[in-house]
Amino acid sequence: MPPERSNSMTTPSFTKASSFGKPFPRFWHSEHFLKLARTLRDHTAVFLLVVFIVVGAFSSDVFLTPRNLLNIMWAVSVLGVVALGQTVLLVTRNFDMSVASVIGLVGIVTVLAQLAGLGLVGSVAVGLLTGAVFGLINGLLVVTTGANPFLITLGTNALAYAASLSLTHSKTLYTTVPAFNEIGRGKIFGVVNHSVIIFIGLALALEFVMSRTVFGRSLYVTGLNATVGRLSGLNIRGAQFAAFILCGVTAALAGIIITARTGSTVGTAGAGYDFDSIIASVLGGTSLFGGRGGALRTVVGVLVLGVLNNLLILLNVPIDSQQIAKGLVFLAVVWADSLVRHV
Amino acid sequence: MRKAMRCLFDVGSNQVALLIAAAIFAALALATGRTFLTPENLENVTRQVSLDAPVVFGETIVLIAGGLDLAVGATMAMAAILAIGFQGWGATIATFVALGFGFAVGAANGLLVTRARIIPFIATLGTMSVARGVMLTYTHQQPLSGAIESFAFWGAGSLGPVPAPLIVALLLAAALSVCLRYTRFGRNLYAIGGNREAAYLAGISVNRRLFAAFVASGVLSALGGVLLASRLNSATVQLGNDTPLLALSAALIGGASLFGGRGTIGGALLGVLALGMLANGLDLLGVETYHQIAIRAAILILVVGADALLGNLAKRRSAGVGAVSLT
Repeated sequence: MPPERSNSMTTPSFTKASSFGKPFPRFWHSEHFLKLARTLRDHTAVFLLVVFIVVGAFSSDVFLTPRNLLNIMWAVSVLGVVALGQTVLLVTRNFDMSVASVIGLVGIVTVLAQLAGLGLVGSVAVGLLTGAVFGLINGLLVVTTGANPFLITLGTNALAYAASLSLTHSKTLYTTVPAFNEIGRGKIFGVVNHSVIIFIGLALALEFVMSRTVFGRSLYVTGLNATVGRLSGLNIRGAQFAAFILCGVTAALAGIIITARTGSTVGTAGAGYDFDSIIASVLGGTSLFGGRGGALRTVVGVLVLGVLNNLLILLNVPIDSQQIAKGLVFLAVVWADSLVRHV
Repeated sequence: MRKAMRCLFDVGSNQVALLIAAAIFAALALATGRTFLTPENLENVTRQVSLDAPVVFGETIVLIAGGLDLAVGATMAMAAILAIGFQGWGATIATFVALGFGFAVGAANGLLVTRARIIPFIATLGTMSVARGVMLTYTHQQPLSGAIESFAFWGAGSLGPVPAPLIVALLLAAALSVCLRYTRFGRNLYAIGGNREAAYLAGISVNRRLFAAFVASGVLSALGGVLLASRLNSATVQLGNDTPLLALSAALIGGASLFGGRGTIGGALLGVLALGMLANGLDLLGVETYHQIAIRAAILILVVGADALLGNLAKRRSAGVGAVSLT
């Protein structure tokens, strides 16, 4: 985990924004409440995870069975992979909303590569390359124009969607390499799914890179104060490009896992992963304002979402209402994030 | 009279939008032969544009104040669903329920931005998600269809040759133009968008005005939803999925900026007209759906990128006066 930063380290524009609009002290600006909010923000995910597990253990007989727990891990691993890439990008104070359609597009491109005669390694490489190219496009558009990354990637999201429609004409394609399907369906020792191993392995690798390497630290500096980073001789633009490409590659990895699981392509396979990956990262303690967060935090955030989802299903909450719960959780978490940031 | 028109729609400062709209009009008139220029098609285009206009007006008002509203699509869709769903109580009540929902979403956005100080696009992304959830729970993903004949007039009816929603859109445009240009509220919004801190120091109650801007956007989106429900005489959860992007593209083409402090209702009208004509023309030319999606996406990237480049340039020129961007 990255070292704790003191709360006073805010970027200039936000300290400016907080210099007005405080005519008299309010309850939620009081030291007590802020302390609570800060603790909540830093350890929300762990706290929620414990609460949900306790609730689950008491309210359902099947919740704590190894089979159900492994099921949860299996269910969250794809979102986890996307959220890890999103975390790297959030740390640099950027977003990627295009993951939703890139996931679908990569599945299609991978299967098309197989239909063209490529094997396991070749088709996976083509898929990952597609993700990297989209990441590069996002990076180029955002870094060169300085535009709002959120809106730009909403645009490239639609471009990726249009590309997947034009590649398949809305038809379903089927994988032709049996070894490829093993990525999604196979289990190590017959117990743990490959996708879970990929998720955990990626998390550990990213945690190491982000906290122990110069490149990783420069990601945090990019998010905290790009000017200071540039003046200190760090390659800020390079860090942003790398983060965008990494996010594209993790989205591609998720697309490959989903396609290997189902053995077929669905253009909308990634729907909702844009929003969910941001919720998972922020829930884990990665700030929307950059410079704060980490891969292991995101693992906990992803687990919270997975356990919550599992609980809502076990408790028979209608699927339509789960969207409301998700939105409210999102607003609560970003509120805590902004509160600690601004006051 | 001409001067009054100029003031109302501020055509003078919207040359870019006017140029784009005129270019698209000319290109389509040439490319489609005479199909585009037939009275039926022109009526069709103006009707569609008038349905989209209120949402774009709302987005423009928020953009002028330096905010951004991504919940417009969900608000519009839910308002359409409520306007159909509450028809058992009569058309008037249904309309007011729908507008009330828009008010509630706008107020929630306003509070989240001004009190909880969540940056606008994140806050409105959250309310969008909640509104979509409410919509799914309310409809169980089933389409609703209307029962009241007279309700269809505002969206589908005509007064002589003029589509009814066009009249609504033009009256709304006139009222909002006057409001933005000549009232204290309107001038304050430009001041807040231009430089929030200066506006605050000049004694403008920034939070109250921002709150009002988000509420206006919510209510206008809901009005768009009511008109849409009246036009379709039905409503589904799929409505409004593309609306935030359309509204944003149209408002930016119309001269508004994500940096705030710029934009007019007349420009927004020209922006939505340009995009509406383009969509209609692409349909007439038989362009495939996925190409249309790609074209819309490219337009969004283009306008957002251009806005950022121009905005950063202006910021560098006036370095020191530095506007605080909310987005």
